[in-house]
Amino acid sequence: MNKTILEVNGLSTKYITRFREDVYAVRNVSFKVEEGHSLGIAGESGCGKSTLALSLMGYYFAPLHYISGDIIINGKNISGLKPDQVRKNVLGTEIAYIPQAAMNALNPTRKVIRFIEDVMYAHGSKMSKKEIYDLARERFEILNLPADTLHKFSVELSGGMKQRTVIAISTILSPKVLIADEPSSALDVSSQKMVIKMLHDLMDLGFIKAMLFITHELPLLYNVTDDIMVMYAGQIVEKGSKDQMIFDPIHPYSKGLMGSILVPEDGTRNIKLTAIPGTPPNLKNPPTGCSFAERCKYATSRCKVYDVEYTELEGGRGSRCLKPEHELRGLYDDGKVDFSNE
Amino acid sequence: MDESRSTYKKIVHSGYFKYYRKKTLWFLATLVAAVILNFVLPRLMPGDPLAAIMARLAPGIQDTEALRRIYEHYMVQFGLDRPVIQQFFIYVGNLFRGDLGLSFSRFPRPVSEIIMSAMPWTIGLQLPAIIVGWFIGNILGAIAAYSRNGFDRVLMPTALFVSGIPAFGMAIILLTVFGLNLGWFPIAGGYGIHLLPHLSWQFIGSIIYHYHLPFMSIVLIAIGGQALGMRSMSIYELNADYVRYSRFMGIKDRTIVRYIFRNAMLPQVTGLALSIGTMMGGALVAEIIFGYPGLGTTLLRAIREGDYPLISGITLVITIMVLIAVFLLEIIYGLIDPRVKAAQFE
Repeated sequence: MNKTILEVNGLSTKYITRFREDVYAVRNVSFKVEEGHSLGIAGESGCGKSTLALSLMGYYFAPLHYISGDIIINGKNISGLKPDQVRKNVLGTEIAYIPQAAMNALNPTRKVIRFIEDVMYAHGSKMSKKEIYDLARERFEILNLPADTLHKFSVELSGGMKQRTVIAISTILSPKVLIADEPSSALDVSSQKMVIKMLHDLMDLGFIKAMLFITHELPLLYNVTDDIMVMYAGQIVEKGSKDQMIFDPIHPYSKGLMGSILVPEDGTRNIKLTAIPGTPPNLKNPPTGCSFAERCKYATSRCKVYDVEYTELEGGRGSRCLKPEHELRGLYDDGKVDFSNE
Repeated sequence: MDESRSTYKKIVHSGYFKYYRKKTLWFLATLVAAVILNFVLPRLMPGDPLAAIMARLAPGIQDTEALRRIYEHYMVQFGLDRPVIQQFFIYVGNLFRGDLGLSFSRFPRPVSEIIMSAMPWTIGLQLPAIIVGWFIGNILGAIAAYSRNGFDRVLMPTALFVSGIPAFGMAIILLTVFGLNLGWFPIAGGYGIHLLPHLSWQFIGSIIYHYHLPFMSIVLIAIGGQALGMRSMSIYELNADYVRYSRFMGIKDRTIVRYIFRNAMLPQVTGLALSIGTMMGGALVAEIIFGYPGLGTTLLRAIREGDYPLISGITLVITIMVLIAVFLLEIIYGLIDPRVKAAQFE
């Protein structure tokens, strides 16, 4: 068995709104990522994917607040550390983040190399500017980024270049875990491809040991990650290998999500797309019972009452549903779950 | 040879060059417009200034023929008998020689001499006041943005209130409270009336003593307006994506504050360029209220006495001062914001 790089146990975080209301955005999330593996996180908008990414950094500032749980990176528990220790010893070196809006992630009035210097010195580096420049140039060249990018401002870079520059900066300190939050969603297909290739390169070259990839594009996850985790209402509803999750989901929600994928092939136009009716629950008052019960076609009265545990199934997968696996499979006899109201 | 040509090409096609060329052309175009307006506007003003001079110079003369001849003499002397177009070209020609004509009301003193004696007072008062007000306002606004709760709750309403007071209102309040009621500062003039302008500690002390109230009236208003703008810009920058990313890269809070301050200040520079005209206008009003011997007071007197050349000269000088200030700010802006350079290629 491979070494576990990232282990998360019972992590819960919340947002506190302007009106002093709590929004429970990440609820009791646990998972592991092994060395050399990448985990995809999928789900609808607002399901807590991005919040989970922010929570994993262990560095909380308003409106996000930590409630409970452990984040263990390479055997080191970072959730008990003081913010300044996290800032200096964890961020960028243990765990790094590529933001959702990488387009605006760079300070518009600072050259790329100046920002890299700031990053290095913020972590107590004693290198001279020349040494930092050499290191950055070497890293940029390995990652197929032109070295003159270092002397540019972010406005002088194209969208795809900006994103790749941000990735190169994020990984300059060779963090163990890289969290990529929709790194390619705003890009055209060829830039997207380059970004994905770059992430693969980082793993292959050993600059990062494990990766979390967050997106709502499921076909992309299939091509990028080893395992996929589906989130709903701040919880994990199902986790498994990419093949299991894409071709053989068990949980009714994952089933519905996979059913919403558009595949460009003959006859796609005539296939009736299945969409999941209803909206996710309000996380200010998370429902008792299964969070998905309100929208689930197969829900029974029991589902709305009993708290549903996440259960491990065979083959390293797991799901959060009251119904056992064989019973669920029996429900999907047509092979595709149909959520349309007829 | 080849190299110098390619360097030349590089410079001409660079974003900065395009930006500065555009700004310089705009500066020149506005300058021409200002000169034309300065010539035309006083001539549209009602009232016959020559009649006013006559009334003052020759109060005892009853002989209409003599009056008519004096009148015609002045018409010729001031060039008012010629067609307006010709007057304009004479005016422009004289401008290039630094000759703004002779004052009607203080005849025969040249306008340029009157302006030169008033200008140091105006620049000495307004330039430091606007710069100091801008800096203090920006620092206060930035602090308010960071300390959302405590300081902000006091500063915000105060700044709103202060920036809402018109320039003359602020001057009158200060004059009444600190000049008349408390008697801390003199109520009028640039220096004590018993003194003659000369270089001595006594005179300098008197200048500083008289400087306080007009200076404060300009500074306070500038602080109010700038603090409000800086506060909202800083809050905007605080929530920018790059701030969050920088935090997650482990950048120190102190460094991030520096990023924010610098970036939030950029629109403030543009804001200053836009409002410097208004600020100067307000400052001229403050001069008038405090009887400060600058351009504002001189202008008011010139208007009262229908002194065309002096009005025209002062407004022209003020316009040029504002234009130069705006031009300099735009040059500075080009240097500090790289986005300006990139925008020239679009």
